Amino acid sequence: MATTPESGISNRARGVRGLSLFLSSIQVYGIAIFLSFGVIAAISAILGYPVFEVLETLVFSSFRSFAGLKSTIKVSIPLLFTTYAFSIPFKIKFFNIGAWGQMLLGGAMTAVVGLLLADWNLPSVVMIPLLVLTAILAGGVFALIAAYLKADYDINPIVSTIMLNYVALQCVAFFCTARGFTDPKGGHPQTMLLPSSAALGFIGGIPYSLLLAVLAVLLVSVLINRTRLGYEINAIGYNPVAAQSYGIDFRKTIMLTFFFGGALAGLGGGLEVLNIHNRLLVGFADISGVNFGPLGVLAALVVAGNPMAVPVASFFMSVLLVGADRLQRTMQVPVELVFLLQAVIVLLIVITRARLSAKR
Amino acid sequence: MNENRPPRVSPIFPQGLACRGVVGARVRAGRMDRKVLLELKNIRKAFGEVVALDDVDFSIEKGGIHGLLGENGAGKTTLMNILYGYYHMDRGEISFEGSKVKIHSPQEAIRLGIGMVHQLSTLVPEFTAAENIILGTEGRRISFSTGGERPGILKLCEEVGLSFPLDVKVRELPAGIKQKIEIIRALHRGAKLIILDEPTTYLVESEFEQLLKSIKRLIDQGITVILITHKIREVLKSCDTVTVMRKGKVEGRIDRPEMDREKLVKMMFIEKEIKITESALPRVQLPDCRRSELPVLRVQNLAVEAGENGVGVHNLSFDLYGGEILGIASVSGNGVKELVEAMIHPSRLKEGDIRVKGESIRGLSTLEVFARGVFFTPEERIQQGILTEGSIKENVLLGHQGEKRFLRHDLFVNWEEAGKAARKTITEYGIYTPSEDFLIKRLSGGNIQKVIIGRAFVSQICLLITHNPTVGLDISSVEFIFRKLVEIRNQGDAVLWINEDLDELMMLSDRIAVIHRGELRGIFPRNQFDKYQIGLAMIGA
Repeated sequence: MATTPESGISNRARGVRGLSLFLSSIQVYGIAIFLSFGVIAAISAILGYPVFEVLETLVFSSFRSFAGLKSTIKVSIPLLFTTYAFSIPFKIKFFNIGAWGQMLLGGAMTAVVGLLLADWNLPSVVMIPLLVLTAILAGGVFALIAAYLKADYDINPIVSTIMLNYVALQCVAFFCTARGFTDPKGGHPQTMLLPSSAALGFIGGIPYSLLLAVLAVLLVSVLINRTRLGYEINAIGYNPVAAQSYGIDFRKTIMLTFFFGGALAGLGGGLEVLNIHNRLLVGFADISGVNFGPLGVLAALVVAGNPMAVPVASFFMSVLLVGADRLQRTMQVPVELVFLLQAVIVLLIVITRARLSAKR
Repeated sequence: MNENRPPRVSPIFPQGLACRGVVGARVRAGRMDRKVLLELKNIRKAFGEVVALDDVDFSIEKGGIHGLLGENGAGKTTLMNILYGYYHMDRGEISFEGSKVKIHSPQEAIRLGIGMVHQLSTLVPEFTAAENIILGTEGRRISFSTGGERPGILKLCEEVGLSFPLDVKVRELPAGIKQKIEIIRALHRGAKLIILDEPTTYLVESEFEQLLKSIKRLIDQGITVILITHKIREVLKSCDTVTVMRKGKVEGRIDRPEMDREKLVKMMFIEKEIKITESALPRVQLPDCRRSELPVLRVQNLAVEAGENGVGVHNLSFDLYGGEILGIASVSGNGVKELVEAMIHPSRLKEGDIRVKGESIRGLSTLEVFARGVFFTPEERIQQGILTEGSIKENVLLGHQGEKRFLRHDLFVNWEEAGKAARKTITEYGIYTPSEDFLIKRLSGGNIQKVIIGRAFVSQICLLITHNPTVGLDISSVEFIFRKLVEIRNQGDAVLWINEDLDELMMLSDRIAVIHRGELRGIFPRNQFDKYQIGLAMIGA
């Protein structure tokens, strides 16, 4: 508008813009979290629980003891992977609601291959990388089905990924009860234990899968910010028409984003099997009865699907989940209250963001 | 085009049913008595730190066409959006028909009798013209049928001399007809004042002539029209008064008798020295230039299937030499879009051949075509030309992401090199921005186009294909682009310049090829340029 090249938009103005962006996102999250804790306080007061104790347990259970922190980390690892599984395809504006299925299939294939290889007596250095690779491929290829359906038949990935979740769910149920895999003494649909060479193990109570999670964070950040492929993914997300006009392959990009997303979810599932349960069982990727897949979608929506913010979002969600678990055990507060809180937080963040941006 | 087809008449309802907003009766009386219709006083509007309107006064009389002239970003559209209730002013007052009014929303503006036709169509593409016209006026009725309103609409169309098919989905209609529908929609809601925001951006010359005729009919019916434009020649051709804006302020108002080109140019660009031609284009010379021995581009018997809303290309052959600007004159929807597509995405090529410097590009990917030294700037600047949410740096890199120079180990983007290229483009093209990391969508239209053109010269090229590069740009940006095209040609490279503005083409092309319904209708050398002949060829006569 009324400006001249000489005066220029100064760097100061740009600095102010950056700062105001930062302040506005603090504003968004601050207001939303404050309001949702208000909602929780109100509901627990109505239900007759001591409000401050509820809030305190919810937020600080993760930080009061090392055990609390350990279980938060344990929860945040699979959640991180499913949050990525949603966020990466979301970069090009597609919804991968299939992290659930991709995670389940990753876990299932890991257990199946692990059990099939049990008699070979492979050493851990061979066994574990092999099974990790299996998990990655299983999740990635499973997600590719939805990408292919979108690219060649224009089928909305929301629909196909949701449907495929049930396929994966049945696969898990099948292997947990199939002859040759099932553990008849289990009393719960589950497979036999994997050979000990397939166990990842813990260090000081923290699962080794944390290393792979950290590696995933680094790789995703390099992929998105540094690589040519990342640039192409960003470009398609910014404007698919322009990106294609200038030679970016839409089909290839959609396939790859879904593959990466699915692969990470599959890896998350595989790590649950290798590190936590050492076997496949129905509900192996659940917390308090809810699968990490949908929780990942929630966590991703909290940060508007920004892959750079995924670690923070999934850790934040894990804090709430661990707090909820503790609430349930020490104060008999139903865990549903916390799922309610999470839904309220996500909704309020989305609403606050929309309202603040609508003002200008 | 079906614009001359008479509207179909509903057999169910005879003529003469009541119609809201019948033009004649209510306002005809007030014609020409120079009564002030609208007065905006001390309007101020700031967006953050940017003052878009700085104490603007604007007033017009009843009747006639009132121009609102200024460069892009002068504040014309902002001012009108305030009048139409889209934006809220920081301070100031509006009086309409002699009484002070407060307009908080477009609904209130419509209720007062103010209608606005925006630059981009606001019609629902999946609805027919008739449905679009009555949309929002159907009140509390449950059914959404256009039957009852149809005679009124037809009468209205007849009164102002606009005709278009009422029952075709708007999606299938060209831009010129969409505007007519929007005008009728405004009249149907009882508009006494119609604001046209840059109506000619997506119109060709002949469509503008037609629109002008209809506007004159409106004026005869007592309607007042405000024409927002940055084209001096449109003002000279049509307006009774003109108010010139510059940098958020009103420079002054001139009435018909005192209007002349020099005066308007001076008011629009006080500090800039821009020479303009008869048709109010920036004057840029086309010096003699040797053209190359061999063609840079050879299109042979090209046939492309029709895309959406197009006719495809049939048996098209032409040569383009180095040191030459070949203009392509064609009305939109006649196959030029498909021609450009075929050159940029030759992997989809079915029949015929395209050769660049003698080598066929059949089956190559877009990036491979770019690697041969061909680059393009697309027709739709925003939709097709830029990564809307990306930075300038990311946008300059677009199309070059596969080049060795911008890659490390073939896998990583060399962002330092990309930043360097972006900074070079910013300095060379005078793009007005704080840094290369600035979001491109925050730039003005002219600066966005400079990024798109600058992107083409990041690497060595031998052929630039550019589609309507000057649409909607102000005169100083147009001048810049003209100079750039001539500079490329003078370096011995080739330019394929597709443009819907014949005046522009005739000023700077070495030859003009005319394409109508996907076929070549002749190539005119510079010494045989004749606006009438070329115009005839463009419409296939």
